[in-house]
Amino acid sequence: MELRIKTIQVDEKLKVYDIPRRIKVAILMENVIQTYSLTKSYGPHIALDSMNLKVQQGATGLLGPNGAGKSTLIKTLLGLITATEGEGEVLGYNIRTEGEEIRKRIGYMPEYDCLDPRLSAVDQIKYSGELLGMNPSVATQRAHEVLEYVGLRDQRYREIGTFSTGMAQAAKLATSIIHDPQLLIADEPTNGLDTQSREFMLSTVTQIVQEGGRSMLMASHLMEDVEKVCSRIVMLHKGKLIAQGRIEDLKGIDQEIEVHAWGGATKLEQELNDSGLKVRRTGRVLRIIKDDEDSYSTIIGAATKTGCQIRRMHDHEPSLEDLFLVIMERLGYEVKSSEDLLVSGPTSRKVDAPEELKG
Amino acid sequence: MSEDVDAEFLGQEGLAVTGKARMEAAYGSGDGDEKLTAQVSQSSVVGGTIFEQKYRPWRGELNPRWMRNWSILRHHLLGIVKKGHKPWGWPLRLALLSCFFVAMGDLSLAFLGTVIGDSDIYRLFGVSRGNLYGHVLGFFPRNAICFPVITALLIGGMISDDRRHGTSAVYFSRPINRRDYTAMKFISIAIILGLLIVGTLVLYYVGDIVMRGEGWAWLIDTFPAFLLAALAGSILVFTYTSIGLALSSVSQGRFFPAVAFMAIILGSKLLAFLVWQLFERSVIYLISPYDVVAHIGQSLLGLSSDYSHPWTWSLVSMLLMNAAALYVLTSRIASMEVSRE
Repeated sequence: MELRIKTIQVDEKLKVYDIPRRIKVAILMENVIQTYSLTKSYGPHIALDSMNLKVQQGATGLLGPNGAGKSTLIKTLLGLITATEGEGEVLGYNIRTEGEEIRKRIGYMPEYDCLDPRLSAVDQIKYSGELLGMNPSVATQRAHEVLEYVGLRDQRYREIGTFSTGMAQAAKLATSIIHDPQLLIADEPTNGLDTQSREFMLSTVTQIVQEGGRSMLMASHLMEDVEKVCSRIVMLHKGKLIAQGRIEDLKGIDQEIEVHAWGGATKLEQELNDSGLKVRRTGRVLRIIKDDEDSYSTIIGAATKTGCQIRRMHDHEPSLEDLFLVIMERLGYEVKSSEDLLVSGPTSRKVDAPEELKG
Repeated sequence: MSEDVDAEFLGQEGLAVTGKARMEAAYGSGDGDEKLTAQVSQSSVVGGTIFEQKYRPWRGELNPRWMRNWSILRHHLLGIVKKGHKPWGWPLRLALLSCFFVAMGDLSLAFLGTVIGDSDIYRLFGVSRGNLYGHVLGFFPRNAICFPVITALLIGGMISDDRRHGTSAVYFSRPINRRDYTAMKFISIAIILGLLIVGTLVLYYVGDIVMRGEGWAWLIDTFPAFLLAALAGSILVFTYTSIGLALSSVSQGRFFPAVAFMAIILGSKLLAFLVWQLFERSVIYLISPYDVVAHIGQSLLGLSSDYSHPWTWSLVSMLLMNAAALYVLTSRIASMEVSRE
């Protein structure tokens, strides 16, 4: 109810579009970010291609290979660069004309270092609060609070230059949440962290979303991290939006049967392909796309025919990694893991993607 | 226990690793007649605070634009004297203090002349049109060493540090626009330089009045010259700041902008001086930022000019230099990223 009242108050300030107020309130309740055919081009290069994005409240993962347009999208959403075509709203504010209002309400955690190494953590966080318009005394108090929250209570008077990677990441998070933003945009928040720091970072951002009731757009190349924190994903590729929605729903695109074969897996794979099933194979493990319930009998029939033993057969519960691989496969790429595309960038791509995706 | 066993187990010499010993180690079983003492290890945990992570919302109001700009200005200015703000290094603080004393040298000597009653010393260092000009635009030591060195130290990391450390992201991911960012950085430098150049001029003028108890007639006579000297000083501050910040904005280090600034100010002066020595054409001084401002200052104060070309040429040159510097500054800041550069 409180959220609804706040949303309506926000809506009073809006001057964008001629959408009836009632509908706009409903949209705002659902989507913290919404774009309409958003396009950004740099000369002939199209960085964002007619993107219709909907990011709902809660945590959303932003995925995409290097050069997919993630950074351009974030900068456009922050109102720092002007879209070539199309429109967009963040928290109900127009990204073209109300960038300052958006940046007041957003916490942005950049991927790379953004803190002055010669300042103490508390001074840096306090200054970042003052830059938002906080009174110095309020910013000081809040800096102490957020530093305690991110686990830097005992290190708050240390110079940032002496921090470990994990502590520096935590300080960056503190900088971005000092004003308790409605939306946190975190770019690779677990970048360079060890297992313990990574777990802490993930649990912290999850708590911000679940207990704080805030929304988050988290760009990461670590599928496992995204899956832990986010319930929804947005996937970009070459400036196009290729998938968005609930992870669970997207996983339903392709249900697979996992088969552990023994003695003649290659023959079995061949036979299954011949019988019209789509097979992915890693050694003795085959994953077969489940067309219908008859797929089981087709597999057993193929195994009987080829003389291959089936040691184990069950419905496969796909991870986000699997989902990513399926999507990339559908786009015409041969990738063994998300690392191939997300870390090493465009050079590892096999350029035979469909023409509409600039392949 | 037999005496010939050469073994140690669990700290007990002569105790063979027998089944019995293992049993004792495992279960502490004995015959029931042992000494009733026990050794226990001490816990390494001696107490502490349990970290409870609890999200605390904030419902405060954010102040408007002027307050954000004030925070940038405050951060840079207070850093000179206080911890917790922009960490200016000790070389700058030391240089500022030294230059302040140098800048107040004329007042000290005028005071000396007044105290010992030597009118020649006072004539050399007391308030006059020439000395007011000399206070802000005199070449040695002020514009040969003090002001360029202070400017170089100030502008060295002013914008280049934001590029190097990525701190531009902290500014631009907040509701700070690039005009405000540029303006506040500019004003911060200009205020510090202004305090050193024009501020000490005010101290010099007021100090002289207080020291000698000057009357209204003297004030009316000298005040216009004081105002024009202050104006010339302000032009110098503006020109040094715009050139310095432009150099800072094109770099990621502190060394290049500082050295380049010194090279531009002193190098152009030296080059012009050498050409003038050879060809006796003062027009070459139009390339020297110091000389164009000095020429304007001499004209403003009605002093005999050291240059043979019209002062309006110097004015145009000064305007062009500032326009070019501001163009470089604004275009470089417009290209600063919120992500790594």
